[in-house]
Amino acid sequence: MKVEVDDVTVAFEGHGRSVVALDRISLRVAAGEFVCLVGPSGSGKSTLLRVVAGLLRQTSGAVRIEASRPGAPLTAMVFQEHALLPWRTVLANVAFGPENRGVPRAAREARAREMLALVGLARFAHHYPHQLSGGMKQRVGIARALANDPEVLLMDEPFAALDAQTRTIMQEELLRIWATLGTTVIYVTHSLEEALLLGDRVVLMTARPGRVSQVFPVELGRPRGLEIRGSPAYGVLLEKIWSQLREEVVRAMDEDRGA
Amino acid sequence: MGVAVPVGLLALWEVLARLAVVSPRYFPPPSRVATALVDGFSEGDLAGETLVTLTRLGLAFALAAAPAVPLGLLMGMLRPVRAVVEPYIAVLFPVPKIALLPFLLIVLGVGEPAFVLTGAISAFFQIAISTLAGVQTMDPRLLEVGRNYGAQGARLFTRVILPAALPAIFTGLRLGLGLALVAIVAVEFIAARSGLGHLVYRHWQTLSTPQMYSAFALVGALGLLLTRGLGALQARTLVWQQDPGRL
Amino acid sequence: MSRGRARHWLAVASPVALLIAWEAAAAAGLLREAFFPRPSIVLRHLRALVADGTLLANLLPTLARMAWAFALAAGLGVAVGLAMGVWRRLRESLDSVFAVVFPIPSVLFLPLVSFVVPRGETALVVTTALTSFFLIALTTADGVRQIDPLVIEAARHYGARGRRLFTAVLLPGALPFIFTGLRLGLGYALIVAVAVEIVGATRGLGALLWLSWQVLKVEDMYATFAVIAALGGVLSYGLAALRARLLPWAQDVAER
Repeated sequence: MKVEVDDVTVAFEGHGRSVVALDRISLRVAAGEFVCLVGPSGSGKSTLLRVVAGLLRQTSGAVRIEASRPGAPLTAMVFQEHALLPWRTVLANVAFGPENRGVPRAAREARAREMLALVGLARFAHHYPHQLSGGMKQRVGIARALANDPEVLLMDEPFAALDAQTRTIMQEELLRIWATLGTTVIYVTHSLEEALLLGDRVVLMTARPGRVSQVFPVELGRPRGLEIRGSPAYGVLLEKIWSQLREEVVRAMDEDRGA
Repeated sequence: MGVAVPVGLLALWEVLARLAVVSPRYFPPPSRVATALVDGFSEGDLAGETLVTLTRLGLAFALAAAPAVPLGLLMGMLRPVRAVVEPYIAVLFPVPKIALLPFLLIVLGVGEPAFVLTGAISAFFQIAISTLAGVQTMDPRLLEVGRNYGAQGARLFTRVILPAALPAIFTGLRLGLGLALVAIVAVEFIAARSGLGHLVYRHWQTLSTPQMYSAFALVGALGLLLTRGLGALQARTLVWQQDPGRL
Repeated sequence: MSRGRARHWLAVASPVALLIAWEAAAAAGLLREAFFPRPSIVLRHLRALVADGTLLANLLPTLARMAWAFALAAGLGVAVGLAMGVWRRLRESLDSVFAVVFPIPSVLFLPLVSFVVPRGETALVVTTALTSFFLIALTTADGVRQIDPLVIEAARHYGARGRRLFTAVLLPGALPFIFTGLRLGLGYALIVAVAVEIVGATRGLGALLWLSWQVLKVEDMYATFAVIAALGGVLSYGLAALRARLLPWAQDVAER
C-alpha cells in the first residue's frame, strides 16, 4: 500500500470543549491510485488531507506513506486558493520545493520548466501570479506540486474556485497528466460528478464526527472524458452515492435543528 | 502582557533613578513625576493648561471636519471636483503643516486663530483624503444594488454611499484628531505662551524636569485617550463593520 | 482615455490658473502684498536665495539631518518591526508602549532626547528619527501579519522553514508594507526635521523659514516654503515611482 491511514483521530480544543473532526478514520490507497474524498461540509475531508500532508498533527492514530525513492518528499499539496507566492515568478514558484531542498539552480529550473511544459504554461515562466487567470494559477499550483516529485499528490478542491468551463478543461488536463506520470493522488472535492470523472474510488465521508461512510469503486474504465456522463453505469453510481450522501446531509441538518 | 512591559519599564526607571544610575536631575523617578502631576492638578496650572489645549483641539477638529467630510464626499462622487481639488491636496498633503504656522502668524497675527488653524489644516487633509478613499473603494456592486432596488439621487447618497464610506470617514476623523493634537501641541511648544506643549517647553528651559515629564505624559495620555475613545465609538456605532481597524 | 487626459490636463491647469489669478489679484491691489506677495516676486527672491548661497547653506543641513534620521529609523524600524511580526509576545508588549508614545508630537521629545545624547546636531537627528522609527516598525509588523496564512502554510509544506521561511516568504511578503513604511517614514523625516529646526537649529530650511518670519521677510518665507513643499512632493512621488520599479508584483496593490 502506498498510503495507510490507521485509526486517525483529530480533535480540536476550543472554548472549553473539544470538537472531533476525524473519528478513527482508516484508509488505504494503492500506488498509482486516484482516490477522491467527498462528503458534506464539516465531514473532515480537508482535515484528513492535511493530516496526510503533515500540515496537521493527528490526536491519535498513524499515517504511513511508502517511500520508493530516498530523499523525495512524501507529499505535495495543491491548495484550494492556489496559494502561490505573489512575489515570485511562475518559474520561481514552481522551483520553490526543490529550492528548499537545496537542489542546484540549473537542475531545479530545468525541472520546473519541464513541469510548466507539462501543464502548458512554458511561455509564462517569467510572469507573476497576478498576471495569470484563475485556471492558469491553478496549473502553476499543480506544476509546483509535480516539480517537488512527491510520492503522493494531494489536491484540496483545486478547481472549486474556477468557472465551469475552465474546471472541465482542467479536469481533463489533470487526467492526462496523471496518465502520463502515474502518480498516486488523493483528491478532495464536494462535487460527486468530479469525483466520478476523476477517481478510481470515491470515499464518502460523514459529518460530525468525520467518519468514512462508504467506499465506492468507480468501474467506468479509462481513459475517461466528459462523455461518461451519458453512460448508464455512471447514472446508477451517481444516484447510489447521492442517495447515501442525502441521508447523511439530512441527518446532519436534523442534528443542527435539535441542537 | 500588554501592560506588563510599560509597567516594568517604569519600575526599572524608578529603581535606576533612585540608585542614581541615571541622573535623577534629567530623569526623575516616575514617582516624583506622578507627585508633580498630582500637585500640578491640585494647586498648579495643569488643569487650566490642559483645558486650553483641549479647547484649541476641539475648535481645530471642528473647523477641519466640517468642510473636509463634505469635500471628500464630493470629490469621491464628482470627477470634475476631484480633478480640480486633487492637485492641491497632492502638493499640500506632504508639506509639514508646522511650516504653515509662519504664514498664519503673519496673516492672522500671533494668537489663537493662527494656533487653532494650524491644527485644523493638519487634520483637514487627512479627513478629506480618508473620506475620498471611502467613496472610491466602496464595492461598485453596492451602487448597482442601490440603483437596481430603486435608490436614486439623494436616497442613493444617504442609503448607500454615505454608509459605505462611513468606516473610512471615521478612520479619517480618528487620524485627523491625532494629527490636530500633534500640531496644536507642537505649535504651543514653538510659539504659544499657554497649553501643555508650552508647559513642556517652559519646564525644559528651567530644567524643572518632574513638571516637564508630567506635562509630557499628559500629552501622551490625551492622545491615547482621544484616538482610542473615537475607535471605541466607531466600534459601537458601526456594529456591522467587522474590523474597525486599530490605533 | 480622453477623459483621463482631460483629468491630467486639469491637474496641471488648476494650480497654474490659481497662480495666475493670484498674480493678477495682487497686481490689481486686491491682495495685500505684505501678506501675499506675487508669485513672480517670490520667484525672484527664490533666485536671489539660490544665487547668494543662502538656500544651499540651509538645504544641505536639512537633507543631512533627514538622511541620518531616516537611516537610523529605517535600520532600527525594519528590524524591530520584523521581530514584532514574527514574535507575537514582543508585538503585544511593544504595541502598548508605541500606543502611548506615538501620538506625542516629536518636537516634544527634543528636551528628552537632549538629556540622553549630546545637545545640538545629534539631538536634532535622533528626535527627527523618532516618528519615522515608530511608523516604519508598526508598518513592517503589519506587513508580516497580513501575509496570507495559506501562503505561509503552502511555503512550509514545500519545505521552507526557519531562515528560508523568513527570507523567501516573510520578508518578501512584508516588503510592500515595509516600502510603504519607509515612504511614510521619509515623509515624516522631512516634517519633523522642519519642526525641530524651527525650535532648535540655526541652519536648515525650518530655521530659515522661522527666521524669515521673525524678521518679516515675507517673500523669503514663501520661497523657503515652496522649497519645502517641493522637497515633500519629490520624496513622495519619487518613492512611489521607485516602488513600482522595485516591486513589480505588488503594482496592482499599490495602484488600487
